[in-house]
Amino acid sequence: MYILKVENLALDYGKQKILNNISFAFKKGQIIGLLGPNGAGKSSIIKILAGLVFPKSGKLSFNKLPKKSFSELREYCGFLIDSPAFYPFLTAKQNLYLVNKINKANADLDELLQKVGLSQVDKKKVKHFSTGMKQRLAVAQSILRNPEVLILDEPFNGLDPNGFQDLINLLKDLNEKGTTIIVSSHLLNELEQFADTFILLHKGIIALDISKSELLKSKKKVAFTFESEPSIEVTEFLNTMDVVFKNPVLAVLQLNPNEIATVVNKLVAMESTPINVETLTILQEKYLEITK
Amino acid sequence: MINLIQIELFKLFSAYRTYITFAIALLLMLVINLGLYSDGEELFGFLLQSINDYFYIEGNVVNGYLIAYLALNTLWIHIPVLIIIVTANIFSGEFELGTIRLLLTQPITRTKLLIAKIISMIIYNFCFMLVIALSAIIPSVLLFGTGDVVVFIDGIQFIQESTFLSRFFNAIIFATMAMIAFSSITMYFALYFKNTLTAILLSLGILIIMTLLQTFVIGIFSSWQPYLFTFHIAKWQLLFVNEVPYKSILNSVYYLMAMSIFFIAISIFKFNRMNISE
Repeated sequence: MYILKVENLALDYGKQKILNNISFAFKKGQIIGLLGPNGAGKSSIIKILAGLVFPKSGKLSFNKLPKKSFSELREYCGFLIDSPAFYPFLTAKQNLYLVNKINKANADLDELLQKVGLSQVDKKKVKHFSTGMKQRLAVAQSILRNPEVLILDEPFNGLDPNGFQDLINLLKDLNEKGTTIIVSSHLLNELEQFADTFILLHKGIIALDISKSELLKSKKKVAFTFESEPSIEVTEFLNTMDVVFKNPVLAVLQLNPNEIATVVNKLVAMESTPINVETLTILQEKYLEITK
Repeated sequence: MINLIQIELFKLFSAYRTYITFAIALLLMLVINLGLYSDGEELFGFLLQSINDYFYIEGNVVNGYLIAYLALNTLWIHIPVLIIIVTANIFSGEFELGTIRLLLTQPITRTKLLIAKIISMIIYNFCFMLVIALSAIIPSVLLFGTGDVVVFIDGIQFIQESTFLSRFFNAIIFATMAMIAFSSITMYFALYFKNTLTAILLSLGILIIMTLLQTFVIGIFSSWQPYLFTFHIAKWQLLFVNEVPYKSILNSVYYLMAMSIFFIAISIFKFNRMNISE
């Protein structure tokens, strides 16, 4: 069941088209990765969903109910907008207190700060915070109301490896409890670790919309690198496959996931063990293509 | 809404900038008092020289009430400047910090948020003018005592001691309304340009140019005078003439209120249609 559905979303800044009549839908309870290089339109989509930017056109429905404006989503969604900002003259706890009060929520701020690893610095003014600490605080404010949908724009920016892992664990935990999570990032590796669905954007259009299960089932490009030119027998064997590219020491094949091991085993049996085997999913392939 | 106003006031009074304006206001009043305490007699002796030939003046003319009246002359430039700085920051400060995104992603309407900010701006104006009033009257009365007041507005005006305080506090209420009207202009600039410095410069520019036009009433400018808001701001002085022209003052009150409402309305209109893309 779709929790959030957007149709024909378009956004222009002057003559520049930022989003070009795109439509997408997010399934309830999933983690959705919005991917794309800088300028692809990820942040614009999130700003429209947050009601910060008004689109030229676009229809929205939430839990199958049509909504008049995108700003209505704020009732159900928690947001972390790119480059989170806080009142620098207030402490971490005071900043959260403001958000708590705006929402008339009754969140346990100490627990929340502990959840994002900031309990030791709750009385420290935010002006003394590092980028990573601000990012953690931004996550805390976005989950304060226990929203149905959590929408995060580049949440991993400025996080160290521990912070990154902590955040992934926190998001997975929230997702297990039923929160639908939409995460935008320009880094594919980050999202591949935990997203269920991927939407790849490029120049304001959706270049690919694929679920993880579809991705796992789909054919992959596999590049076999050999130390020297393989024998005629091996070349003939490779030619029976779906060859994408070939030169004397490199063969790129399009294979089903279950075929990869078979091919490798066969090559080993033919005494032409490749020195390197690289696989590219359709998502990685597409991403590389548009970021070239 | 009360919730939002409380939040706005919490932010306003948590920022040290707010207290700096109060401190400057206090210092301003202290300097005026100390200056007049050391050289006041001599200065007023010189000013009263011309009227001494026609009037027999008995008693303490250089008294706390006169000093408090003179202190109100900071309403021309000094006080508006301080108010502009804080007002501009209340509105464009959120854009500069990026916290406007934090606020607008919460389930509150833009109109409610802006109205809460406007109310906190009005409360700040009241607090500031209260600080001005108390710091103008208390030290001057303690240092110089009380007495009748002689002021020069359209000729010499003799204000009885017993009527001074009501005139003074009416002038403060009027000035507060004037400052709110002026803050509304600053608010509009702050929202339009999303930049504190630009809003301050434009507001100051308007204040200075209008004050100059007001001061040098020449030729075609004289017909414009009633349209200048500085013309109406200056009406507080009329509360210190013997026969207070309440009708004229009330007209200026209406003008300032209409001006505040106009700028608040266009600010709400603008804010509701604004893309927060950065």
